[in-house]
Amino acid sequence: MTVDLRKDFVTYAKSLNKASEDPNIRTAIGRAVTSYRETVAETLERFPHTPALALEVQEIKRQSIANLDQLLEQAMASVERNKGKAFYAKDHETALELALSIIGTGKTVVKGKSMLGEELHLREYLEEKGNEVWETDLGEFILQLRKERPMHILSPSIHVPREQVAEVFSKFFGKEVPPDIAEEVKVVREFMREKYFTADVGISGANVVAADTGAMVIIENEGNVRLATGAPPVHIVMVGIEKLVPTFQDAMKVAEVTWRYAQYGVPGYVNIVSGPSKTGDIEKVTTYGAHGPKEFYVIFVDNGRSDMAKDEKFSQALHCLRCGGCMYECPVFQVTAGHFGHIYMGGIGTIWTAFVSGGMEKAAPLIHSCLRCGRCVERCPMSIEVPAMVGELRKRVIYGE
Amino acid sequence: MVEGMKMPAVLDILSDNIIKYGNPLALKGPQVAAWAKGLDLPVKGDLLFYTGGEYQLLPFIDTLVKTITHIDTGSKAFSMMMGVRKVINKTGINAEKIYASVLAKDKDRYNSICFKAAKVLQGLGYEFCYSGNEELYSGALLYELGYMEDMKDYVQKVAGVIKESGAKTIVCLSPHAAEVFKFVYPKLVEGFDLEIRTFVELVWERRDKLAKSQTTGAVVIHDSCRLARELGIHQELRDILESVGVEVKEAPQNREWTSCCGGPIKMLFPELSHVIGSRRVDELKASGTDHILTSCPYCLSALEGGLAKNDPAIVEDLIELLYRGVKA
Ligand code: SF4
Repeated sequence: MTVDLRKDFVTYAKSLNKASEDPNIRTAIGRAVTSYRETVAETLERFPHTPALALEVQEIKRQSIANLDQLLEQAMASVERNKGKAFYAKDHETALELALSIIGTGKTVVKGKSMLGEELHLREYLEEKGNEVWETDLGEFILQLRKERPMHILSPSIHVPREQVAEVFSKFFGKEVPPDIAEEVKVVREFMREKYFTADVGISGANVVAADTGAMVIIENEGNVRLATGAPPVHIVMVGIEKLVPTFQDAMKVAEVTWRYAQYGVPGYVNIVSGPSKTGDIEKVTTYGAHGPKEFYVIFVDNGRSDMAKDEKFSQALHCLRCGGCMYECPVFQVTAGHFGHIYMGGIGTIWTAFVSGGMEKAAPLIHSCLRCGRCVERCPMSIEVPAMVGELRKRVIYGE
Repeated sequence: MVEGMKMPAVLDILSDNIIKYGNPLALKGPQVAAWAKGLDLPVKGDLLFYTGGEYQLLPFIDTLVKTITHIDTGSKAFSMMMGVRKVINKTGINAEKIYASVLAKDKDRYNSICFKAAKVLQGLGYEFCYSGNEELYSGALLYELGYMEDMKDYVQKVAGVIKESGAKTIVCLSPHAAEVFKFVYPKLVEGFDLEIRTFVELVWERRDKLAKSQTTGAVVIHDSCRLARELGIHQELRDILESVGVEVKEAPQNREWTSCCGGPIKMLFPELSHVIGSRRVDELKASGTDHILTSCPYCLSALEGGLAKNDPAIVEDLIELLYRGVKA
């Protein structure tokens, strides 16, 4: 079968054009780019060992991706040893079904920001199955209310100015919320607190997973992940298998490089979760669910990742830390934000689209809007050769592979 | 599994033209080589002067986009992607009509760039040959757009013409040509071991022979992505300008951090390409001068296109600036 993508190109071009005329995107990204560059320059100066550490992490990632099967096995065993339950989901459907089998229906779920969640359309799926699901990350919450998709992997609502936030909040909370950022943050804080402590399940992703210990490392600033994964009686981690590294020490290195290039400077919180909450304080009898969750589940999601790992032209794309740095430096992203993407954004996003979230049909127009200018490679702590991969994908588009 | 994808027609047109006519817009050999008339360049020699027809085709790219917009009153992007085949059949990219509609002043300007480059190099004492009507486009776009299988055949033809010249070294005006000759050709053509240089490098080596420039005021350099990142050439431009006594102001995003002119996506996403071009122009002007200098045909065209109407800023190629010194 031949698919005609010409209409898709037209629709896509129109969406890019529209985005490039959007003054909100223009102002917001303009500000974000300046602040990104300043923060990163400043923190790299403050922590000058970072570039060398990034090189070390490149090697850790390379070896991990080459040994994914083994790391996965080890990590699953570690999670089980810690009295958690570990699952492997080969594809999208399995991942969702596994999550549903743990959660069931009629539950309240609080969720941290996760690109994998976006990839799986997790919230929409759980809602459809009769659950109440809340995005606890402020940016994601704004988008949940606006029924929009993220425009940046780290600052999902980068394109929404405070006035529009006030508008959507006033409507949702049924009271006047002024276009004042502090006030806006406050109303959400009050609302979410109640959700954390009444929720049945907390879901998070993880930035890196140590196979030896089964430790899930989650970097954040808001403190929402801390609450969402600590307060409810059940914690589910859904994480892509590319996040696996051999040891806890490796995981710390990956985490530090991630947050440095992700403009955290020093992140407010680094959560490390390896199993359910437990205590042995009464007669040394281990009892689960002390203050934190009684049940701990990890779903390792493949969904195209192992195919990518086996393709030598693309395995490097799995090294991506999702720091978002490349997007700020991308001339196309700078004027169109997440419109240059489908779930995953920017140049690296086109590769991920092709392999894990949409396939070649969705990826083709994106692939052709990349300038192949190479500035992302300059920025990328993992030096991912996105332009070369885009070239290879273009070739596959032309000759059908 | 999807077996094939029907892609915007413009991709096929560009690749077909390259494969069949040796030029993305099917310009004819004599059109491409017209600039060299009167220079009497030999066809054989140690150093081959290579234009690839790239500066020469610049005025036609815009005209192509414009012509199609004119015929189909819908959006540019729409017609480029859907209707282009029909449009081409009606008007023909090669048809005199399109060529005739190109502004004479644009045609003259871009055509003369090759002439000026040759004069600058001759002024520095370089002797070189040129393949004239036989010269073929490097195929950089085939490589860019993913036509790698076609590229494999095509490069053999190009390499054949180059071999005819007997040259050991190629000097490329366009960094895109230099990039493919340097990194792609050796993988596809057996025994392709020519030394690949750019115009900038040759000038740089003999920069102390350059006459002082009469250009007044400072310039800002727009580093071409390919030149700065793939070929690692950026300090050379600054050295050359210093030698001719022209002050350089720096844009915040320069050298290996240079920001793309938007040119590469012009054929598929013309509007977006334009926005990116004008953003880059603004960035460059933030350096404090309105005189923008680059060293790549596509940057030249994209930045020129990114100028707002009545913007007094000047966009020119290093070749143009240096040539003013030659004449003096
Ligand atoms: S590709 Fe590189 S710069 Fe971009 S998000 Fe991934 S790690 Fe960061």
